[in-house]
Amino acid sequence: MKQFIKSKQLKIVLMVLIIIAGIVMIAVKGFNFDLKYQDTQRVELYIQTEFNIADIKQITNEVFGNQKVMIQKVEVFEDSVSITTTSISDEQKSNLVTKINEKYGTELKAEDTQVENIAHTRGRDIIKPYVIPFAIAIIIVLIYLGIKYYKLNTAKVILKSIGIMLLSQILLFSIIAITRIPIGRLTIPMVILVYLFTLFGMTSRFEKNLAKKKLEESKEKKTKK
Amino acid sequence: MKKIKIITIIVLVILITMVSFFGVYVHVQNRMENKVRDYDLDMDLQGARYVRLAVNKESKDVIKDADGNEVDTDEEMTDEQLAENGYTKESVPNNTEDSLTVENYEKSKEIIEERLKAQGVDEYEISVNSETGDILVQLPENDSTDNFVSNINTVGKFEIIDADTKEVLMDNGDIKLVNVMYGSSSSTSSGTTVYLNIEFNKQGKEKLANISKTYVESDNTTNTTADTNTATENTSNEASDETETTDNTDTTTNETNTTTESTETTKKEITMKIDDEEIMTTSFDEPIENGKLQLSIGSATTDADSLQDYITQATAMASVLDSGNLPIQYDIESNEYILSDITNTEIEYIALAVGIVLLIGFIVWVIRYKVNGFLSAIAFVGLISLYLLVIRYTNVSVSIQGIVGIIVTILLNYIFINKILSKIKHSEDSKKLENVKEAIKESYKEFFIRLIPICISIIAFCFASWTTISSFGMVMFWGVALIALYNYLITATMLKVKAEK
Repeated sequence: MKQFIKSKQLKIVLMVLIIIAGIVMIAVKGFNFDLKYQDTQRVELYIQTEFNIADIKQITNEVFGNQKVMIQKVEVFEDSVSITTTSISDEQKSNLVTKINEKYGTELKAEDTQVENIAHTRGRDIIKPYVIPFAIAIIIVLIYLGIKYYKLNTAKVILKSIGIMLLSQILLFSIIAITRIPIGRLTIPMVILVYLFTLFGMTSRFEKNLAKKKLEESKEKKTKK
Repeated sequence: MKKIKIITIIVLVILITMVSFFGVYVHVQNRMENKVRDYDLDMDLQGARYVRLAVNKESKDVIKDADGNEVDTDEEMTDEQLAENGYTKESVPNNTEDSLTVENYEKSKEIIEERLKAQGVDEYEISVNSETGDILVQLPENDSTDNFVSNINTVGKFEIIDADTKEVLMDNGDIKLVNVMYGSSSSTSSGTTVYLNIEFNKQGKEKLANISKTYVESDNTTNTTADTNTATENTSNEASDETETTDNTDTTTNETNTTTESTETTKKEITMKIDDEEIMTTSFDEPIENGKLQLSIGSATTDADSLQDYITQATAMASVLDSGNLPIQYDIESNEYILSDITNTEIEYIALAVGIVLLIGFIVWVIRYKVNGFLSAIAFVGLISLYLLVIRYTNVSVSIQGIVGIIVTILLNYIFINKILSKIKHSEDSKKLENVKEAIKESYKEFFIRLIPICISIIAFCFASWTTISSFGMVMFWGVALIALYNYLITATMLKVKAEK
């Protein structure tokens, strides 16, 4: 029992530490947004032939170094490439055009190549479409849990469920902030995953507690008899 | 017999797997065509239409009178004509300096978002550059994309003006809501008519009532009375008596007024304009007191395609008017389809990783549960194959969330089968049919009770209008349904047959 308490305390301390570290990280550095959701610059180059993303990647690695780069094929003929990165200097643009010309035999000119500024997508705009479906789902789930496990005290079950669900998501975002995992297309799937497994774990725990309660009740009945 | 049963099930599983992973190829003309439907991918996986809207920097010529009022004229006036009329020509930017604010950029973004929602676009991304005001809209590529794009930068300025004086009688401020309605005419049986229903607010309702009373087609009768002297023979029969009848003919000269009626139809008409383009010029037959104006779009039709076209047009118009007018005029700078940066190779790597993890899981089963583990692994492969076919044939749009849904389903199925196998192994006699049945029954009960909250969430997600979340919901819905049904029909049967053996 002592060991259990100790391990439970350890878990709580660990969770608190992660959350504090996460909050500090968010306050100091904010979240690390994926390139798709950042302020970026983009160039589009007409290569005139089908190309391999890996070859372009090699060129962009040479030109942009450690900068994050997103490479996309354009239109149905897939003979143009869209290169998006955090920022593109004139020198980088010139280098890129030269290397593309060398590789594909094109006659592109740096001065004709326009750099397009792309504004970032706000975090709240990413989350907005998910708020209502999640809110509806959570409310119905809470009502179900409250009814199903009324023997464990409805209010307690609901409060516990809200607490666990909140805690799990706060933990997830703290870990994301600490590990600098980019906020992007994988963030929402992560949120959903954590939500589902929290639900599964929570229901399993309630089921166990209910079974225990029923066992205790039957024991009490037997002793009364 | 029992052996045949198991072999039949295994053959069935292999068949489903072949169809799902390799397809069914049919010779069409000079090539082989896979008849198995392809996945319907969402914007993140397939690519999107990138529409870049730039703030319009052009100017327009405005003619003003001596008092500085704008003169609305369609005529091209020469400098001499302008001078004659005392008019001046000024070049005015389409977007004034005052209108180019961060608030207006944001408002424009919100209006575009509303328009997309109203037109049923269930996935999009919009970002606005707060310095330049440029807006980048990403839309899913499909048959309707061009239609959405064509309305995206419409300012949406609505006006009802006097056709003669050009006085603005009503504008966007008077609109409460705009929607699309359908009606079929039973008298003419000519089909269904699509209406654009414009509902006005309180102030607009009053204005419309007044306008509809004023702007009517009326017969103005002019009475012209002429005094003329004409000689008329007036014959009157007086005092008729049954016994004595006297004919009294009296000729008199009377002064008579002759009235000439000249009827002239005068029409006071209104012109409805959207974005300064005339939509119609008309008058009202009767006063409109309910504050609703219904405009028919196209003609009544029974043709489904034409009807759909009219509905699309009306919906686009409704979405533009209902969302209010853009405070800034935008031009479409670029409009191109850009493929996703997530390539097929990357998805294949994910599939390979899942496959390897599953293979390890199957090996664990075979080691721990022997023949039962082996049979369950085969059944599992069948479930995945069938699942992937179901996703393709139920029009589920697969997104990144959808892929996560597939992985979660596989994981849940592993947990479920593992539970069954574990219960069979730990039963008193794992070869006894009754024990196997009991283990399966218990596993179903325990597992699905724990799954109810997840099922509730999945169903709620299925009804979400946002593709990525509904994709996850649908994928998971079919996954959980298959876990319940497929395992009952295939996995449980195999385990029971093996126990009988």
